[in-house]
Amino acid sequence: MASKSSLLKVILLGDGGVGKSSLMNRYVTNKFDTHLFHTIGVEFLNKDLEVDGHMVTMQIWDTAGQERFRSLRTPFYRGSDCCLLTFSVDDSQSFLNLANWKKEFIYYADVKEPDSFPFVVLGNKLDVIERQVSTEEAQQWCRDNGNHPYFETSAKDATNVAAAFEEAVRRVLAAEDRADHLIPTDTVNLHRKPRSSTSCC
Amino acid sequence: MAVTATPDPRWCSYFFLYDGSKVKEEGDPTRAGICYFYPKETPLEQQELLCGQLAGVCRCVSELSSSPVRLLRLHRRKFAICTRGDFLWALGCAVDIPDISIHGFLEQLIGLFCFYNGTVRESYQLRSKEELATQWGKYLSHLQGGATELHHIFSCLRTIDSTHIDPLLLLKAALILQACQRCPLVLAGCILYCGRVVSTQMPPDLTAKVLVHETEAYSQELKSLANGVTPTDSAPLSSSVTSIPVFLTPSELHALRCPPVDWACRSHCLPLQDNRTKKSRLLSRTLSDTPDPEPELPGLDTTYRTPEAQQSVPGSTHSSVSGETRFSPSPSGDAPFPQDCSGSRDQVLANGTPRASAQKGSGGQDEEISGAPLPAPPLEGESGENRESHDGGGRGCGGDRSKQRGGCVAGGQAANGETGNETGPRGAGEQSDEEQPEKSDWQEPNDSKGGSEDEEGGGRRREQRGVNAEQRRGGGVQGVYSEGSRGNQGTQGGTSTPGALWPPLVVMALYQHRVRGLVLALLVEPNFQSDAAAMEEVHHSSLASLNGLEAHLRSTAAGAPGPPGGYTFAHYDSLQNTLTTNLSGGAGGALERSFVRASSLLHSHFSQAVTLQEAIVRNAGSAVYGTRSTAQETYFLQQGATVRNSGVPTPQDSAFSLPGKARHRLLKHGVNLL
Repeated sequence: MASKSSLLKVILLGDGGVGKSSLMNRYVTNKFDTHLFHTIGVEFLNKDLEVDGHMVTMQIWDTAGQERFRSLRTPFYRGSDCCLLTFSVDDSQSFLNLANWKKEFIYYADVKEPDSFPFVVLGNKLDVIERQVSTEEAQQWCRDNGNHPYFETSAKDATNVAAAFEEAVRRVLAAEDRADHLIPTDTVNLHRKPRSSTSCC
Repeated sequence: MAVTATPDPRWCSYFFLYDGSKVKEEGDPTRAGICYFYPKETPLEQQELLCGQLAGVCRCVSELSSSPVRLLRLHRRKFAICTRGDFLWALGCAVDIPDISIHGFLEQLIGLFCFYNGTVRESYQLRSKEELATQWGKYLSHLQGGATELHHIFSCLRTIDSTHIDPLLLLKAALILQACQRCPLVLAGCILYCGRVVSTQMPPDLTAKVLVHETEAYSQELKSLANGVTPTDSAPLSSSVTSIPVFLTPSELHALRCPPVDWACRSHCLPLQDNRTKKSRLLSRTLSDTPDPEPELPGLDTTYRTPEAQQSVPGSTHSSVSGETRFSPSPSGDAPFPQDCSGSRDQVLANGTPRASAQKGSGGQDEEISGAPLPAPPLEGESGENRESHDGGGRGCGGDRSKQRGGCVAGGQAANGETGNETGPRGAGEQSDEEQPEKSDWQEPNDSKGGSEDEEGGGRRREQRGVNAEQRRGGGVQGVYSEGSRGNQGTQGGTSTPGALWPPLVVMALYQHRVRGLVLALLVEPNFQSDAAAMEEVHHSSLASLNGLEAHLRSTAAGAPGPPGGYTFAHYDSLQNTLTTNLSGGAGGALERSFVRASSLLHSHFSQAVTLQEAIVRNAGSAVYGTRSTAQETYFLQQGATVRNSGVPTPQDSAFSLPGKARHRLLKHGVNLL
């Protein structure tokens, strides 16, 4: 199943201005536009890639970070296979808000098992000299909040961008594999239950 | 979705195009002149009879009265007539259809043909009658497709129902269009969803033309999808991108290049590009994001380019106008046109399809003969104005409008002699229809002078040189004259009026990018197609947003039509050419039908009586209140109100409370009648 080209929905969340759209554009079109609009609602681009022998079409959903666009973006969380929580290393508030973003995503995407859902954390704007969030801080947060992988990226000079998205795909594929193993056991249980109960009584 | 349909016989019982130049001698059969005839099942003898008789009557009347025929009213049918040079179009419809509406229909039809095929003369020289017959048929059915009767009456655009979508999405659409305009080869664009307009930067009549191809392309796409061909979003410049040549009249081009888009300045001041990008960056912020007080609504971008405009085209009336102008396309009309803005407003008017206010002179006589030509069709004056748009540093015609006109006449005539690039500006104010009789007077000299070398240029020149090509064509009138004048002397017998002439058409390209039901349509310079970098830039800057907008619009529930509320209304915006109504699209009950009839009647009256502002029409069971201003018309029907009507007006008559109720009720629909 996974060997065929499958569509993975990956969603970028994070405060306004941390560079979500730039990350997407850098990754898909390899362009960086300093005059990008603030995203209104959601946007998305598709990208075909091969990860570990799997052909995958990644559908990257870019969202509006501003609070007032919440009602426009939240309906599109549903069905995501991976969530990229993004902050800007030169903006500590955007880092502090990561927890809120995660919460919002889990709520609106209706994630059944938040603990096993693949999140990837991106610290963008690595090219900016004056950092407000240290690598250690960020890594610590990732460890404390479910052991998410952490990437420091720069959409401006393309640092680590591809690596981050590929990691997202790996996480999704890994999660799917786990799910593939889980589902049969679940079904087996359902079928066995009545039988075991009859034998008991 | 604008479904193609067979024309409604009420609106189109007959339609034909007749070429008088093919029937000159006694022995020439009438059939030789029939280029297209609808319905095509009509026996040829009948076709000949109708064409021959109508053409004869038109020619006779226009020769006697020295003005073109616009309408022939028969006992049970009337014909809207349009003549240009040797060509005569006639569109037969039921008598109760307002004159202005049937003219709008005919003009749209002719406009569509020219937009996609170029001038009629040239099309019939280059292509077969059969081939072009399918084109006429296509436009005929497109104009009849989908929209409601009210839409036909007002000849208005079908717009997306903005009451059911987040206004931020309209902003998003507008921003996508602005982003595309960062590419200097892009003139203007519009975004359409399922055959309806979401956002447009073009004048209404151009938007309407673009819609045809959109609908056509969509049905093709559906077919290819059915065949298993799926265009992928990810492929750069995938099959969802198409580009076809289109033909614009000089006035249309002018409207695109001048305010509100202010194209001219962008193309003329490339050295200032850096500066400009900085400004467009400001533009690209959303309303509440930027602290600076500058307004950022789409369509207001001219304000930012003001300094450049003035630098680059110091003397040009239009550029200086643009400096002070904020052209607001917002339906609320809360940005009134400043005094200086008259130019651009009239520009819009001139490009718009029928508007009541512009139809002042037209009466409802049996044979309506008016010096004022039809509202939209290309006029000689437009070609004159063409010059003005490119008069890089032309003579300024500053000052107030009246002064402007004086100066411009002189300028225009002087320039005409030169046949060159250097021409004098004319206020676009002359565009407005009220002024046309006057204009035709002062333009006459141009005509007689005009027939010079540049002639064949009009439509002949298909190769495209963008601005330059057009500048060369600068003496537009000559081009006009030439095409229309082939044999003109004979048929028109000296009654050559502006409406009888061809505009020189300029080749541009229509770029379309489709994402499912959503289409980004851009009018671009012809060389855009060969400029891979520019195409990629536009494609990349818009793809993600288009994907997103499409997802948003698709997820927006169609929305049940709001609670009936006990009243029916229709609000027509004549500047944007849009209609807001709570009338359902379906067949409707008796009350709805009588509302449509009453609105049609009132619309007709408004178009004929300039000074008429308010009117109530009533029958035994209902009363419809209509009110209009220069920019809008509103019709209101209170349901379930007992019409206490004793025959003599009394203060107790409930009809008299209609205006108050209309003001009250319609406020929440964004219609301000106060």
